[in-house]
Amino acid sequence: MKKFAMLAVLVASVAMIAVACGAPAAPAVVQTAAPIIQTVAPVVQTVVVQQTSAPVVQTSAPVVQTVVVQPTAAPVAVNKVLRINLGSYPDIIDPQKSSFVNEIAHLKLMYEGLTKFDTKLATVPGAAESWKYNDAATELTFTLRDGLKYSDGTLLNAKRFQYSLMRNIDPHTAGEYAAITDEIKGAPEWRGADLSAVSDDDLAKLQADVAASVQALDKSGQPCKEGEEGYAQADCNTLKLTFSKPAPYFHTIMGIWVAYPAKEENITEGGDNWWNSSKFQIGNGPYVLKTLEPFVRARFEPNANYWGGAAKVPIEFSYIADSAVSFQAYKNNEFDIIGLAAEDLATVKADPVLSKEANIFPGSCTFAVMFHQLKEPFTDQKVREAFAEALNRDGWVTDVLQGLGASTLTWIPPGYPGYETSTKWGFDPDLAKKTLAESKYGSVDKLPEITATFSDTPRNRTRYDWLIGKWKEVLGVDVKLNPVDPTTFTALTKDINTAPQMFILGWCADYPDPQNWLSVYWRTGGFGERIGYSNPDFDKLVNEADSTVDPAKRADLYAQAQNLLIDGAPVAFMWNNVNTYMIKPWVTGITTTPQDTDFPGSQDVESIDIDVSKLPQ
Amino acid sequence: MGRFLIRRLLWLIPVMFVVAIITFVLMHAAPGGPFDKDPSQRQIDPTTQKQLNAQFGLDKEVWLDFSALMKGDIAGFFDTQFITYMFGGTVNGKWRCGFICGNMGPSFRQRGMMVQDIVLDPPEGRQAWDSKAGYSLRLGFIALLFATLLGIPMGVISALRQNTVVDYASLFIATSGVTVPNFVLGIFLIIIFAVGLKLVPVVPRSWDNPIVWILPAVVLGFGLLASTARLTRASMLEVMRQDYVRTARAKGLSQRMVVWRHMLKNALIPVVTVMGPAFAGLITGSFIIETMFGFPGWGRQFVLAIGQRDYSMIMATTLIFALIIQIANILVDLVYTFLDPRIKLS
Repeated sequence: MKKFAMLAVLVASVAMIAVACGAPAAPAVVQTAAPIIQTVAPVVQTVVVQQTSAPVVQTSAPVVQTVVVQPTAAPVAVNKVLRINLGSYPDIIDPQKSSFVNEIAHLKLMYEGLTKFDTKLATVPGAAESWKYNDAATELTFTLRDGLKYSDGTLLNAKRFQYSLMRNIDPHTAGEYAAITDEIKGAPEWRGADLSAVSDDDLAKLQADVAASVQALDKSGQPCKEGEEGYAQADCNTLKLTFSKPAPYFHTIMGIWVAYPAKEENITEGGDNWWNSSKFQIGNGPYVLKTLEPFVRARFEPNANYWGGAAKVPIEFSYIADSAVSFQAYKNNEFDIIGLAAEDLATVKADPVLSKEANIFPGSCTFAVMFHQLKEPFTDQKVREAFAEALNRDGWVTDVLQGLGASTLTWIPPGYPGYETSTKWGFDPDLAKKTLAESKYGSVDKLPEITATFSDTPRNRTRYDWLIGKWKEVLGVDVKLNPVDPTTFTALTKDINTAPQMFILGWCADYPDPQNWLSVYWRTGGFGERIGYSNPDFDKLVNEADSTVDPAKRADLYAQAQNLLIDGAPVAFMWNNVNTYMIKPWVTGITTTPQDTDFPGSQDVESIDIDVSKLPQ
Repeated sequence: MGRFLIRRLLWLIPVMFVVAIITFVLMHAAPGGPFDKDPSQRQIDPTTQKQLNAQFGLDKEVWLDFSALMKGDIAGFFDTQFITYMFGGTVNGKWRCGFICGNMGPSFRQRGMMVQDIVLDPPEGRQAWDSKAGYSLRLGFIALLFATLLGIPMGVISALRQNTVVDYASLFIATSGVTVPNFVLGIFLIIIFAVGLKLVPVVPRSWDNPIVWILPAVVLGFGLLASTARLTRASMLEVMRQDYVRTARAKGLSQRMVVWRHMLKNALIPVVTVMGPAFAGLITGSFIIETMFGFPGWGRQFVLAIGQRDYSMIMATTLIFALIIQIANILVDLVYTFLDPRIKLS
């Protein structure tokens, strides 16, 4: 037994040594698992630095240095930090190249657009104090707030926003959301230039055309200076955009991340991976990135130079993708906010404390069963209607989604501008059978083979088994299943020729405007065309709506377009997702919106605080 | 020995080349591409897709893409450009010399980052061992120590005390190690040691604290511990009945000498055979452990890259892992000669 004990001690010591070898030269602030994390107020910290450069034989004594750590922002109450588990680590944190929710979550803290969204998802002034369209909605002029600054104290003016927009359109950037600013005159041409074939002169001309449509002007209406002088010009406070067609919704697009004003000099100095360093991520948002440790932690401090005043509490993002671990950490008071996974819902509901901390509210996506209108039998509207009427959406939400969703019969989700209820093609088994009998096929046995294709995951298998079971039960139809690898599924659904006969797909809001739901998705040439949807009457309505400045008239036109879409039953609208989070009782000031897909309260992050008196002792 | 090593090292080249070709063909045969997104999200528009394809060389013939990955965008192997590329420069803004110079190309998903930077570069202000590769190597090493330093003695004692309580206990642990999946073991240990006993945090705040390495290392090494213990036990039981052991005992050698000098050394040959590839498996990271503990290793990169069709990352990680496994096998062959002098490397 003695040997065993010695062995155990040996293993432990070797392991410790191996780990200790990896410790950084300068010890970081000691972290603990307790919810109280770090002192932000000025502290005098004693740091012991081992001289690592000295040869091993010269065992130099440790050098003791005294370092004064200064806070980087306005004084923040001591011992407060909001710890959020974001789930997955971003691939890229670059305003003009990012596209995923977790990436945007970082950008939203560090930067702010000309506009932003309030807690009712209305577009409100951000860095711009006002904006104005011309009568035809082909020009949009933003006036920036006075005295705007970056987090490092340098001036932020219209020239910076001009650079960001130009960078978004630049074909060299090839950002995933570059097309979202295509209304700007000349943008599609410059963005689409074939860089291997176009001459330098032609490329410069294309760039100049866009530059003429994205103008930074001073208070007297004159173009701002070029280069560094332009960035230092305090009266350069106007950004004028010219569109190739009316775009009365464009001020809303300027609230999303693609036009966040990252600094040109930082992007140039940092190179392609500038975004990976807190040194270069200098923004104008409510927070400053202090440290970014990939896959472990990002820490943000309130930005003292933010025009709206410093936020109340530092934020830390963690990236634990395993929901079971994240939930345990939450219960152990290691996180203040986590996403609630469906498998933990029953535990949470049964627990008197946890059930009060669960926050479930409407999300930003609508999901539908898509029918390919050019593939038999869904070329026949009656068949599509029958399949839609055979779906018990409430049963789906209860049985399959376990309550984490809300049934819907329309496209735009609740909480978003343009939402209207509908009752068409709702669950009615008898009507479904009757409708199918009225189709050109007449009866079930005359229907061609129907296959539902899906991304093969255990969750989807359950979902599709439920679906085909219901169709069998109500209509008597045998629908076959075709599970495919997730990336294959995406590839198939992208093209009208390869899109499956039937599959479930959704759409999540990019920005809160009906144009994003109707024109972008269902207009001919949009995403809905992959299932063969093309309706000239619908196109006419959304085209008119897109160019109408009067908000009421515009909203009415979109409402008509949505009704027309529903009438045609191109898909069976199924459900809206819900955002599900656990929030600790000491987190205060959270107002949720459907757009909070990153973390709750993210549209008004400055209001979030921690009530220290409620923290566990 | 020297000739053996040179020959084995030279063999690495064709093996790596074949692995590269197979990986390349398989990843390009899989449908979809690196810029495809969840179908519920806005897909990249065709114009941007075209620009990205051009930027990443996906608009070329497939074989040209392979050659670009391998040798970079170089016209010839021995021109002046090659020298520039070799030392990390870029010519005309194109990317540098390819895999043959250790440049694994730009990541398709973590745009702006070269693959070698992602796996080998530490975060800002940290040391080289804080890179993803550094983390995985360290964790793999600790897990190996845990598995061998506990597994081998467990197997030896089991064999020496066959059919006793000690043997059964050790067999129970060994069987559990083989049968319990590491994600189950992981969450159990978290619930016991982090949530229950509060000895460690569920989610380590910093990996600079040695204590937080224990749980992931135990979870990672438990499977190997189990197989090492079982294999050592079986092997020891076999060796125990050999003539030379009887001779050793007949000579009057002490039990310690018989066990350590004569039995264990021979019994370890099959164990070491398994240990080589197993060690390679440990240091190449684990998706489950990295996802569960938020461990910043490189195993997750490999798994995610496949789903994301991050071609250069898939190539890089496959080739790195192939190289590590081959080197581990060469080391195992070297260890054989130490364990059994009858084995000659030639």
